[in-house]
Amino acid sequence: MRIRLAFLLLFGVSAIASFAQTTINSSTFGMMEARWLGPGTMSGRITAIEGVAQDGRTIYVGTAGGGIWKTTNAGASFKPIFDKYCQSIGAIAIDPKNPKVIFAGTGESNMRNSVSIGDGMYKSTDGGDNWTKIGLEKSEHIAKIVINPNNTNIIYVAVPGPLWSSSKERGLYKSTDAGKTFEKILYHDENTGCADVAIDPMHPDTVYASNWEFRRLPYSFNSGGKGSGMWKSTDGGKTWKELTNGLPAKPFGRIAFAVAPSAPQNLVAIVESNETGLFISADGGENWKKQSATFNVVSRPFYFATIVIDPKDPKRVYRPALSFSYSSDGGYSFADASNEGGWVHSDHHALWINPNNTNQLYLGTDGGVYISLDKGATWSFVQSLPVGQFYHAAVDDKKPYNIYGGLQDNGSWVGPSAAAGGVSNGMWKAINGGDGFWVQPDPSDPNIAYAESQGGNINRINLTATKAVNIKPQQALNEEKLRWNWNTPIVLGVANKKNLYMGSQYLYKSTDQGRNWTRISPDLTTNDKKKQDQENSGGLSADNTSAENHCTIFTIAESPLDEKMIWAGTDDGNLQYTLDGGKTWTNVAGNYAKAGIPAQTWISSIEPSRFDKKVVYATFDNHMYGDHKPYLGKSTDMGKTWTLMNSTEFTGFAHKIKEDPINKDLLFFGTEMGLFATLDGGKNWFRMKNKIPDYVLARDIQIHPRTHDLIVATHGRGILIVDDISPIRSMTKETAEKEVVLFPTAPITLTMGQFGNSGFPSTGGWVAPNPPSIPPIKYYLKDRVSSGDVKVDVYDTAGKLIQSIPGSKRKGVNMVQWNLSMKPPKVASGGTKIDFGAFLAPMVLPGDYIIQLKVGDSTYTSKVKLVHDATDKNFTLEDRKLQHKTAMEVYKMHEQLADVVDTINAKQKLIKDNLSKVKDSTLKRTMVAYNDELEKLRAECLATKQKSIFADEKKLREEITELYSGVSGQEAAPSNMQVQRVPVLQAELKKKEQTNQQILKKYDKQVIDGLKKEGLIPTGEKKGF
Amino acid sequence: MKRILFSLVLLGAAFMVKAQTADEVINMHINAIGGADAWRKVSSIKMEGTMQVQGAEVAITQTVLHGKGSKQEISVMGMTGFMIVTPTAGWNFMPFQGQTAPEAMTAEDLAESQDQLDAQGSLIDYAAKGHTVELLGKEDVDGTECYKLKVNKKGGTPETMFIDTKTNYVIRSVTKTKANGQEVETITNFSNYEKLPEGIVMSKSMTLPFGELNVTKLTINGTVDEAIFKN
Repeated sequence: MRIRLAFLLLFGVSAIASFAQTTINSSTFGMMEARWLGPGTMSGRITAIEGVAQDGRTIYVGTAGGGIWKTTNAGASFKPIFDKYCQSIGAIAIDPKNPKVIFAGTGESNMRNSVSIGDGMYKSTDGGDNWTKIGLEKSEHIAKIVINPNNTNIIYVAVPGPLWSSSKERGLYKSTDAGKTFEKILYHDENTGCADVAIDPMHPDTVYASNWEFRRLPYSFNSGGKGSGMWKSTDGGKTWKELTNGLPAKPFGRIAFAVAPSAPQNLVAIVESNETGLFISADGGENWKKQSATFNVVSRPFYFATIVIDPKDPKRVYRPALSFSYSSDGGYSFADASNEGGWVHSDHHALWINPNNTNQLYLGTDGGVYISLDKGATWSFVQSLPVGQFYHAAVDDKKPYNIYGGLQDNGSWVGPSAAAGGVSNGMWKAINGGDGFWVQPDPSDPNIAYAESQGGNINRINLTATKAVNIKPQQALNEEKLRWNWNTPIVLGVANKKNLYMGSQYLYKSTDQGRNWTRISPDLTTNDKKKQDQENSGGLSADNTSAENHCTIFTIAESPLDEKMIWAGTDDGNLQYTLDGGKTWTNVAGNYAKAGIPAQTWISSIEPSRFDKKVVYATFDNHMYGDHKPYLGKSTDMGKTWTLMNSTEFTGFAHKIKEDPINKDLLFFGTEMGLFATLDGGKNWFRMKNKIPDYVLARDIQIHPRTHDLIVATHGRGILIVDDISPIRSMTKETAEKEVVLFPTAPITLTMGQFGNSGFPSTGGWVAPNPPSIPPIKYYLKDRVSSGDVKVDVYDTAGKLIQSIPGSKRKGVNMVQWNLSMKPPKVASGGTKIDFGAFLAPMVLPGDYIIQLKVGDSTYTSKVKLVHDATDKNFTLEDRKLQHKTAMEVYKMHEQLADVVDTINAKQKLIKDNLSKVKDSTLKRTMVAYNDELEKLRAECLATKQKSIFADEKKLREEITELYSGVSGQEAAPSNMQVQRVPVLQAELKKKEQTNQQILKKYDKQVIDGLKKEGLIPTGEKKGF
Repeated sequence: MKRILFSLVLLGAAFMVKAQTADEVINMHINAIGGADAWRKVSSIKMEGTMQVQGAEVAITQTVLHGKGSKQEISVMGMTGFMIVTPTAGWNFMPFQGQTAPEAMTAEDLAESQDQLDAQGSLIDYAAKGHTVELLGKEDVDGTECYKLKVNKKGGTPETMFIDTKTNYVIRSVTKTKANGQEVETITNFSNYEKLPEGIVMSKSMTLPFGELNVTKLTINGTVDEAIFKN
């Protein structure tokens, strides 16, 4: 023990000693931050909604895999406030006396096959800005938190506990010190947790709780058992009695219940049993009466565990479930919400009613948040929560490229990676229904993609017509019934992109878009019959939706180096390969076990290396056996021997390993609780941050072959993209040790921005920002620059300074965008409005430019080549030259006019400053006349009268700007009329210059001499300013 | 063996306890920016700077007469807008979009803006000024390890300061102010710290959401005519 302690300390000390060395981690990548692509059009599962009663517009939304989002405007906009912590949220509670105090229980308790896990309770005392973990770390799932309204130090937490294993970390917990400590106050056994809790708000020592016995296995689940029951305490949880009168015969499954806040002797409960039903009590749960109930009210109790009573009206009962039901008579009868305001996504898990305006409801579904202003009769969708739960993502090669992916309960979609004005919800297109998983665009037919719904129901989708053809392989004569995973793999060949694969227990291949399939394997699974009894899954309520299908192929990968080499992994531990396109198969399951990877794990991903045929990576997910360790294996001998890659950084079970296509030592690893990367082939790993939530559920990873973007499909935060990861590839330990590195810039095609401009801002919903529309200049800073300036100066080859751009000073990779233009002209100043000509500069011409990065006193130089896009027939090089010439002529006019107006301004200032001091009345009159003539000229040079932005006043400056912005603000040759307009305005300008000279000649000497004479300006001064 | 273990424990502990209280962090920060004595001598600050907005230059001047007045002026193409705060009144004038006359601040905005009259910064003698502070541990700011210090200002606006654990400079400030009944969060990054002849160290670069303000001139304790704080 002592020795171990000494070792630990030694490690600690050596870690401190090595501080001076730069470690490569997420901060090394500085401004290379993730873009949150969303979308918000299909959101994700919402698990908890709580609002601040005092204001009715501050609302917290907990999600299944996207953390907590807060709105302070009743839902017009949301911000994530839990990005450093576990992303799966089970429950939220707000201190009713001090609404800045928030509790969050992590790990939702909608116990479906794909449910994530939590790591305990958190508390914030400042409205969610800062959080502290306060306990129950091993609870894994938290269903509800309630606070005693009279004494808010008293908190009850219902903990169903671990889903995939037996555990004592479950039951009802109570804190009497605002969350500092918790005590378990109701517990049955290690297979039974607490699913729901409520307190009587008028007698807060009266507490109700429901116990729930349940368990999942990889291939079945059970809801119900002797542990389940309904309990009541009248002494704050010291003693309990079971409530049974009027309830059906046990065993029970899950019980959801509610106490009427305004008449708390009234309760409603949905009791899962052999006769699942709705029960009401009018005497504090002592006696219950069964009600007739619709299908929706009693459906799927393990998944729909919400029932809510209106805060003011005890007769108004809400049952959010498969659909939304409400009752106005205490639960005797129910009606369903109308779809008048649009379809309300099915599968409901959370409801908040504003206690001060009980017409206002917020509903959490499998597809996001809805708001009702009429007590749940109609709903409108909140489009600004990008918390979609992707399983997989794929990309095509269009410009800009599209992302394809399937989502939990939200079908399959395709959306662009960039668009004019940013990527908004409406740009995403739904292409297939059901739960979505794998979607693959056909690389050789841009009109086709393959998508599926649960259980291997694959379609070939015509993307233009959005029409589907079912191409699911069928059971052949003398074959066993086909077993398709919930999340059946659909995979394209890498070595041969014509190959399309999918797997049941057998592997299938098609080379003609799924019109014909060939089975290319025997049963690759263990075919363990004990794991194939899904028809009896569910426990008290049968539930067989393909979510528990087992002994199936779960992952497929064709070697990028050889189309005959195919790997397949199953959900029951087999990892097999063929070297002859499927004629013979080798199972290496026994080999990986020797590396410490448990048998029968899910093979969650396989990555055959593109650098060496014998190298293969695989991830192994054993969480369904209660083991959350991240298993990431590498073999360099075709799976004969395996090395387990590990890191103290790793958290969460393993989903995906991705090898960079260019740097063989760059790997990305996605788990249920984070995205990780290594630059040295796996010796050292770090957690990817930079706007990636620390514990993001990273299900799939792609690297775009053309743009080098890293695309992460998350199960709760939609699609995340880190644009162009090339600097990561070149980041070695030696590079990272340098104080400053200016990265070379690849030739840039001259453009004003590659994504265009949509003209109007978004009208709401989630809008993802675009990648830089012009490739930025990139440099690395070893440390943040706190003293001294950082800037980027751009020169032409003649040494003329084109632009000086302020540089960012962040630690890591910095990016500065040069707009490939000159400095805007000096524009005549003054007038009643700002002239936007001053913000516009002509693009520079193609050629070489010098980049000088200045960091403090040091200068780093590189070159960039700007090229004209020769393929653009609408804007030839000749067009560009004419545009530049014309723009510069007008640019010059702006500067000349500015000189005229500067002179006028200076003279007018001199007159204004001295007029009242002048004694000689003739001089005074002359000065007034001088000023008047100057003002007359000034009013001809620029707009001086109309102040309203709605009243155009066009003078010479505005005329020049119209021509100037027309010519220089577009990627086209100037029109004949634009070119002809130049001399017309030049003549006008000439006149103003002449008039100015005439006025000066007429008055200036006279006025200056007069002022000198009166001693108002020094005699040595000639021009007066 | 026991002794070695013990000294190792002490060594470990020494690294652990470095700067644990808010006051320790504040003192380290104040020392890094020139010390409290130097700052207490500051009675006025005039800061002149420029900001590039889409390539065009915007001139910004801020004058603070300690406890008496603050004026920010923004000039673009000969057009100047301003914001004035005094202990009893405040005005905003932004003519860029056609505003024709200055608008008086609401009582609520004025109360929140009072902290702008502090030329010495809120951390110098914070308790005497009526602010409270909380150290919220350490946090990574764009890869730089910082102390996270929350300052609850007397005027009611909380400010979270991120103080670089290496340099002890504030590198980021996050303020929450109310505007038209909505809470608005403003993030400002500070850099280009420079020691001035007066012995104080000030940031000459402030990055705001819309651009970077580069300070070109700082005048400490220059004469400030109080008339500039009149509308």
